[in-house]
Amino acid sequence: MNQWKLKEIVLMSILGVVFGFIYLAFFGVGKVLYGFFAPFGLADMGYEIIYGIWFIVSVIAAYILRRPGAAFMAEMVAALVEVLAGSTTGPALLISGAIQGLGAELVFAATKWKDYRLRILILSGVGAACLSFPYHFFAGGFDAYENWVVILLFVTRIISAIIITGLLGKFISDQLAKTGVLRGYALGKELQQKKRDEDVV
Amino acid sequence: MVSSINPSVKMIAVVIPGLVLSLAFDVVTPLVFLTFLLLVTFFFSGVRLKKWLMFFIPLSLFALGLAWTSMLHTDEKYAGGDMLVNFWWIEITTGSLQVGVSLALRSMCFIALTLLFALTTDPTKLMLSMMQQLKLPPKLTYGILAGYRFLPLFKHELDLLRQAHQIRGVSRTKGIKGRIERLKRYMIPLLANAIRKSERVANAMESKGFTGSRQRTHYHEIKVKKNDWVFLTSMITALAIAFYLSYTLGYLNIFGKTF
Repeated sequence: MNQWKLKEIVLMSILGVVFGFIYLAFFGVGKVLYGFFAPFGLADMGYEIIYGIWFIVSVIAAYILRRPGAAFMAEMVAALVEVLAGSTTGPALLISGAIQGLGAELVFAATKWKDYRLRILILSGVGAACLSFPYHFFAGGFDAYENWVVILLFVTRIISAIIITGLLGKFISDQLAKTGVLRGYALGKELQQKKRDEDVV
Repeated sequence: MVSSINPSVKMIAVVIPGLVLSLAFDVVTPLVFLTFLLLVTFFFSGVRLKKWLMFFIPLSLFALGLAWTSMLHTDEKYAGGDMLVNFWWIEITTGSLQVGVSLALRSMCFIALTLLFALTTDPTKLMLSMMQQLKLPPKLTYGILAGYRFLPLFKHELDLLRQAHQIRGVSRTKGIKGRIERLKRYMIPLLANAIRKSERVANAMESKGFTGSRQRTHYHEIKVKKNDWVFLTSMITALAIAFYLSYTLGYLNIFGKTF
């Protein structure tokens, strides 16, 4: 955190704030889906299908800033903002935020924060899914469900993480870099470097 | 009054019971604790009943969804007891009914805990308290507070974008594809603006001499008082009593094991 520039910290905080509110909005989406699946007794599926959205800020912050800790802290900030805004899940969100952020961060840590290719971003989403599921198993009382239900929920969450967290997360960041606002940050610098190389060729 | 409790202490006092309650799969433990929470909410929080119910009732409906799932697809560990309903594909035993009700009561406890916190806590005070008591770095604290203050601006920008698209006759395509397209058209400019703002704020902070050092003075000092400890202790005591009561009555069930 000490090597971070102030503007990087502020950018991460603002990403956290924006996505904190997006996360809150998706609770609403989840609830609609929840109602859709409820008659089948699979209400939790409603959340699992879109679960990847709740890991996305980790991937975006890490991919843009490329700093150790970015994935974890951005997710924490988003969770904190949800709490500030009065989320219905309350301060317990900080715990799930920490676990999700940690799952995403561990994958980046495994590459020593050097590799930000698509496959790593996807893996990072999967990491968040894998680490967060046991926590929800615990807090949501999934222990009371039959095994096939638990497995179905888990697999759905992983697929959601691959598509929403990995693919959509990278897409949003790349689109942002194209607008030029990220010139002062690692992702924007990389894009500029690439353009310069192409010009030389 | 709960609203005067130190926000950080209140947060801890709400998170701990939330975690510990997740251990119990019986009916009595969450019921006792829920009763306690309702007493605290109605007599010590100053939250109006009508406002509270407006949040509590819709959220509780989802607690029922949870109960329904666990009732229909109960793990063998919990599904014991006599068959109550056996209709088409619906099988409900006393065991699964019990665990369903338990999970519903548990989520009601979570909801009551959350409302106790959310309806009595000021966001700015929570951030300042987290910086002063929980040692959150000032750089992060003020970054988050700045971002939080931008929210009305984001809404304003969204309106501007919508009007700009309208005046230029950007078609509002319907269906899922149109929704994704629209998401991109709004999301990217909004985020880009947010990033620009964050850069400007950071520059402004630095140019006004903000170093982010922890050795700083605070205009709004937030302290931990005796009452805060009383609140924390009573929450944990009530939780312990809930577990103890259900243990002495012979109901306590932790992850499928009856004690």
